[in-house]
Amino acid sequence: MKNDTLVSFEGVVKRFGDFVAVKRMDFEIGKGEFLAIMGSSGCGKTTTLRMLAGLEAPSEGVIRLSGKPINDLPTWSRDTPMVWQSLALFPFLNVVENVEFALKMRAVGKAERRRRAEQWLDRMQISEFAGRNISQLSGGQRQRVALARSLVVEPEILLLDEPLSALDAALKVRMQSVLKNLQRETGITFVYVTHSQSEAFSMADRVVIMSRGQIEQIGTPQEIYRTPRTRFVADFLGSSNVFTGTVTASDGGGVMLDTPAGPLRLTSGERLAAAPGRSATLTVLDTRTNLALTAPGGPVNAIPVRMIGEEFIGATATIYLETGTGQEIRVQKSHEELAGIPLEIGQELFAWWAHADGHLVTEE
Amino acid sequence: MRRPLTLYGLTFSLPLLIWQLLFFVFPLVFLVALSFWTVKNFRMQPDFDTVNWVTIYGRSVFWQAYGTTLAMAAFASALVSILAFPCAYAIAFKLSDNARRWAVFLMVIPFFTSYLVRVYSWQIFLSDAGIINVMLGWIGLGPYGLLNTVGATMIGYLTLTFPLVVLLQLFSLVFIDRTLIEAAHNLRCGRLRTVFEVIVPSARVGLVIAALFAFILCFGDFVSPIYLGGGDPTTLSILITDTTKSGQQWPRAAVIALTMIGTLLVVAFAAVRFAYKGRTK
Ligand SMILES: Nc1ncnc2c1ncn2[C@@H]1O[C@H](COP(=O)(O)OP(=O)(O)OP(=O)(O)O)[C@@H](O)[C@H]1O
Ligand SMILES: [Mg+2]
Repeated sequence: MKNDTLVSFEGVVKRFGDFVAVKRMDFEIGKGEFLAIMGSSGCGKTTTLRMLAGLEAPSEGVIRLSGKPINDLPTWSRDTPMVWQSLALFPFLNVVENVEFALKMRAVGKAERRRRAEQWLDRMQISEFAGRNISQLSGGQRQRVALARSLVVEPEILLLDEPLSALDAALKVRMQSVLKNLQRETGITFVYVTHSQSEAFSMADRVVIMSRGQIEQIGTPQEIYRTPRTRFVADFLGSSNVFTGTVTASDGGGVMLDTPAGPLRLTSGERLAAAPGRSATLTVLDTRTNLALTAPGGPVNAIPVRMIGEEFIGATATIYLETGTGQEIRVQKSHEELAGIPLEIGQELFAWWAHADGHLVTEE
Repeated sequence: MRRPLTLYGLTFSLPLLIWQLLFFVFPLVFLVALSFWTVKNFRMQPDFDTVNWVTIYGRSVFWQAYGTTLAMAAFASALVSILAFPCAYAIAFKLSDNARRWAVFLMVIPFFTSYLVRVYSWQIFLSDAGIINVMLGWIGLGPYGLLNTVGATMIGYLTLTFPLVVLLQLFSLVFIDRTLIEAAHNLRCGRLRTVFEVIVPSARVGLVIAALFAFILCFGDFVSPIYLGGGDPTTLSILITDTTKSGQQWPRAAVIALTMIGTLLVVAFAAVRFAYKGRTK
């Protein structure tokens, strides 16, 4: 893995005046990886990307590209092309001239750069628009021009800052597959900033979750989804039920938590090093949470709940429930799995899950 | 698509229409009519005679003045555009928001004083016993004949147009999308190259309009060629005054004035065409 590192951030901090936009970043990006950076608005995603592109200088720390520190390289001496949210296509150049731009800057001959630009237009399926003005293109077509313009130099890495946010939902999904295929075929490392969980989780090999200028978790979409490492990540993804309480017992077999919803036990996981007396948070995926009329036996946690609402999307139902202390719990199941359970508002039920399905997250 | 004329529409366009008629169309029509009048015994009389057009267009002195004026105005407009650009660029991209407001204010100050006064003060600098020659004298040089030269006229033209051209260029530069500049840098376009590859093309309309304004002002200017250039070479504006002074030849002056207006219309049209070329296909 170490030899395959393309980019590394080592203790990178970015301050604007007194304001700390990026607190401390230590992470690596592998060669050929599709890395998504996610987080709420203003958490420093764009700033991180801009530091990598050389458009912003880190206040502290070192950024390395292929092992070499690039802190002092201006953006025009790095090969880190970026795709802007606004695309930043040159309105005074037509489509093919836009794509040729980077080649012209590298003093590639006229005929050669026209040939390579046309190749990329062809690849992005926009050859027919080569002679058009940018203003005469649709949003999706512009997107493709912006990608071609950055990729025509066949860089090692491509930076994308919310490139799809201006497109409508259907086009977004289409462009996602275009991007993913492109990345797979070219083997170029993509660093992709987005707000959208579905974009990040469907395309990325690894996802970085940021909050207030810090990395909360890095991992594959599966890892992050199943085992959110912090309460922030669990809340941010919104796919888990979260219980906070005090550790009452911790042994080789598992951890006991005393929570407002009742005593809960968990046996899974890698990090069971919670000392008794400390506060801890347990998460369980809403798809792993079940419903029953009577509390089931065996190695499970069961909480008495009352149903407060339901929502159907396609074949999946989301049932909203409330514990005696007013905490909301969600259960996501297919219709078949819910067969035989009376689903009426106010119905008293038990929400339960296996001890092994719970996860302990670190406390902030 | 033509919209039908409505009373509502007229209430808004009427003042503008009256304004245009009063200050542009009427004088122009009168000027055209005047150019066909004749002068007998130092007295003008309404007529319809092409003699003025034939006389003026038949004189080599007119064509010489025409060529000189055209060349000098074109040169001045190119020169002022080139000199003003670094200034406008620095104000637009290198100054803080606050400093930029001050710079704009400083660029407006020259308009507070009369152009004539500013030209007279150049005489104090440029004349044989002027400040520049005195200072050169201290190191044993000169005096040089700085006044009454084409160079002095150019200095006058710059005085007239420089602040305006800087302001016009500035307003087109500040509206350039900064991400375009970053994108160019990001695609390996260095700082200086970005000026020519991105900033100038982006600001093209504003830059051409600024140069056009400079051309228009210089082409019609009378003050600098006479008070700094000493009336030599003769420009069209000087030719007009000479013509009116010699024997009440107002109709001939009208011919020259109309030729100037026609020239400016053609130049303005060509400049606007050039500015917007390739923008909308
Ligand atoms: N040039 C700047 N000067 C001062 N503060 C800045 C500057 N650029 C960014 N910031 C601040 O840094 C923080 C992080 O900004 P950044 O643009 O990286 O957020 P982001 O995660 O990309 O947000 P979004 O999802 O809304 O795009 C914000 O609070 C922002 O106000
Ligand atoms: Mg952003």
